[in-house]
Amino acid sequence: MTGYLVRRVLELVPTALVIIAASFALVRLAPGSPFSSEKEISPEIRRQLEAKYGFDRPLPEQFVRYVGNLLQGDLGLSTKYPQRSVNEIIATGFPVTLSLAAVALVWSLLVGMTAGIIGAVRQNTVWDHSAMMAALVGISVPSFVLGPLLVLLFSLRLQMLPPAGWGDWRHLILPGLTLGTIYAASIARLTRGGMLEVIRRDYIRTARAKGLAERLVITRHMLRGGLLPVVSYLGPAIASMLTGSVVVEKIFNLPGIGPYFVDAAFNRDYFLVMGIVLLYAFFLLLMNLVVDLLYGLLDPRIDHA
Amino acid sequence: MRKLRRRIGGSSRSGQPAAWWLGWLLGAAVLVPLVGCQNRQSPFFGTVVPRHGPDELWINNSTEPEWLDPSRCSDSTGGEIIWNTFEGLVQAHPETLAPMPALARSWDVSEDGRRYTFHLRPSQWSDGRPLTADDFVFSFRRLVDPRTASKYASNGFVFAGGAAIGRGEASPETLGVRAVDDLTLEVELVDPLPYFLNFLSFYSFMPIPRHLLEDLEHRGIDPDLWTRPEYVVSNGPFLMKEWWFRQRMVFEKNPRYWDASSVRLNRVRVAMVESSTTALNMYATGEFDWPGGSTSLPAEFMDHLSGYHDFHQHPFLAVYFYWVNTKEPPLDNPLVRRALSLAVDRKALVRHVTRGGQIASADLVPDGLAGYRGLGQPVFDPDAARRLLAEAGYAGGAGLPPVSLSFNTSEGHKQVAEALQAMWQQELGITVELKNQEWKVFLANAEQMNFQLCRMGWVGDYADPYTFLELLTSDCGNNHSNWSSPAYDQLLEEANRQSEPEKRLDMLRQAEAMALEAQPLIPLYVYTRSQLIKPYVRGIWGNHQDRHPWKSIWIDSSADRSGRHSPTPEAP
Repeated sequence: MTGYLVRRVLELVPTALVIIAASFALVRLAPGSPFSSEKEISPEIRRQLEAKYGFDRPLPEQFVRYVGNLLQGDLGLSTKYPQRSVNEIIATGFPVTLSLAAVALVWSLLVGMTAGIIGAVRQNTVWDHSAMMAALVGISVPSFVLGPLLVLLFSLRLQMLPPAGWGDWRHLILPGLTLGTIYAASIARLTRGGMLEVIRRDYIRTARAKGLAERLVITRHMLRGGLLPVVSYLGPAIASMLTGSVVVEKIFNLPGIGPYFVDAAFNRDYFLVMGIVLLYAFFLLLMNLVVDLLYGLLDPRIDHA
Repeated sequence: MRKLRRRIGGSSRSGQPAAWWLGWLLGAAVLVPLVGCQNRQSPFFGTVVPRHGPDELWINNSTEPEWLDPSRCSDSTGGEIIWNTFEGLVQAHPETLAPMPALARSWDVSEDGRRYTFHLRPSQWSDGRPLTADDFVFSFRRLVDPRTASKYASNGFVFAGGAAIGRGEASPETLGVRAVDDLTLEVELVDPLPYFLNFLSFYSFMPIPRHLLEDLEHRGIDPDLWTRPEYVVSNGPFLMKEWWFRQRMVFEKNPRYWDASSVRLNRVRVAMVESSTTALNMYATGEFDWPGGSTSLPAEFMDHLSGYHDFHQHPFLAVYFYWVNTKEPPLDNPLVRRALSLAVDRKALVRHVTRGGQIASADLVPDGLAGYRGLGQPVFDPDAARRLLAEAGYAGGAGLPPVSLSFNTSEGHKQVAEALQAMWQQELGITVELKNQEWKVFLANAEQMNFQLCRMGWVGDYADPYTFLELLTSDCGNNHSNWSSPAYDQLLEEANRQSEPEKRLDMLRQAEAMALEAQPLIPLYVYTRSQLIKPYVRGIWGNHQDRHPWKSIWIDSSADRSGRHSPTPEAP
């Protein structure tokens, strides 16, 4: 187990290097400059700005310097928000995105797994069809439709929750539901599918035969087998929840890190783009590792020794 | 088709009856409360009772500003904050924008109009330090100093020696700005600009607390961070108390402000909401009392919103136009360029496409700006357009190669471009290819003159025709037309040396006519600002530079909520 873990962590190093190099190259290849705007700036001012960020140096030197700073935990300065470092921007935005992800995750698991279990246990009944129908709607309705609908209902009509903004727990409910519903729908279908896969297996029949209560058969045996596809789906899903959602955070004006994926690229905010990409890559690699480890726990046949 | 639909409907009904009905029920459960409660009885959009404290205003400022440092700021969201936290020599009247005394109690102008002597009133920074003429000298030098790297350094080039300092050819100390004593400031201008005092109320010309910057440096703190609330020292009506990055800022009344007795709000909370629909929702629920001057209303709701009594609209000092690359055939022929301009039905464009009450105009300078009489070029004349095109040798568009039109990605720009494409095709038989480009790519192409026609908007920085006419001068870096004329440049230079305002305006008119004869750009319309203001918010005037000082705003809980109100009772 430990050996497996060490090997997997070591494998991450070349992957990370490739990601850094590729994103650095892509960001710099994009036409346009972080300092351009409708109003022209004089060459003297442009020189000063470029010198401040080190953009006047040759690209290979800039790359080496960037990686060097990265190893010391320094992600560089933002060009769009010149008074802030990328570290500070991520540090202020990440807690917001994390809270949103937590609400969305809890909601999606609660709703998704419940619907999935009902669907599997009551296969081909009204219950199953309704649950899967709801899941289909959940997958099909994009967050930019669901979000405004929820705002219209709960904020504008019923005036129960704030339409947008950030402050207390009430600001998290609508965006959490919006973001979580998409994942809930996928989780419902995966849970159902996974459980149906095992529902007619011998070990389930054995469990029933030895007189286990149906509730225990479902939770202890069926669910455990049925969870495998959900778990492998949850890895990347959690990684993407943790790096925020552009759409949901924009609709509800949450000051998380989601919008940077698009905005930083549009602004050619070189270091911020890199910082966000690396953060996402980090979570993705980490969550995939966690998923692989969880497999071993869920399915006794998988052994990482 | 009908058969197919019936089959699909039939199969789902017979296959999954319960789910099918449940789906319908669910859908109805959501839709009924949404649609059913549509309520258009109120003459106002959303709540009409203040939700916050008695002297508290909640507004939106759309996005996180780049800088709150007056010397470095170059965006309107930063300007909004600077204008309300700093005070310069003069201030713009909240309705007419005419320059009024601020920190300068009075001023003298030399006979040639190039030397101004300002007499400052005794006043204090928010930390209690006296504010002196030296703080202005420091600020103006810092603005033009290339080490500051200000995108608006050129604003300081109106002062003698400014341009040379900006090019790095002279030291900032040589700038024509001098503190005669603690309360007397003398400035020397390059030209006797008639709009100088109006221009001087711009945020670039606020004083800077030199003592704070030096103190921070002394303490080993990056002086660039001086505008953060934990350090900031300012001299305007409001002080920043909180700054939550990309969320909100909170301001409180500055008790040390020289005119504190006339400031009626105690607290202003400024959110940064980028999406205009989200801002609209927050206004409807009363979270915002006023979505702020910089928040635009979504065009698709404009017709609906304009029926409410809290909807207000006023012209804005900005022009929407297309640059023409005058070196690119067939657009190197001025006849073709003029034909293109005449073939645009601008009235139809603003009525059906932009829909925000914009003013159709084929002029570069908006009519009525600082006493300027607009040229009043025809906004649509398809017959003349066809004649000019025939004169250029392309009768009916025959033989004319396709022309490309670039715009940056945005639904609004795309709709305008498509409308023009259709009009030019229909009126002149010209094929237009649309090129939709991402913003930074678009800018790079504009800079390298890598286009035939490209869209642009220009916001006037000060109330004078020169802010637009300067665009077409030969050495203007913002001139993306490849067109230049020594005669035009000379006429503008002479006009700016002219000290008689009437004569100067005449010369500027001649210059504009000369430029539009060559048509290096195709003006389409003058912008308007549409905004929603709660009936209990008073003291906001719709002026063409969208400047709405918070110090003249107050909350009037007794406001009339029955009929159309005016947020502008009487000018101070």
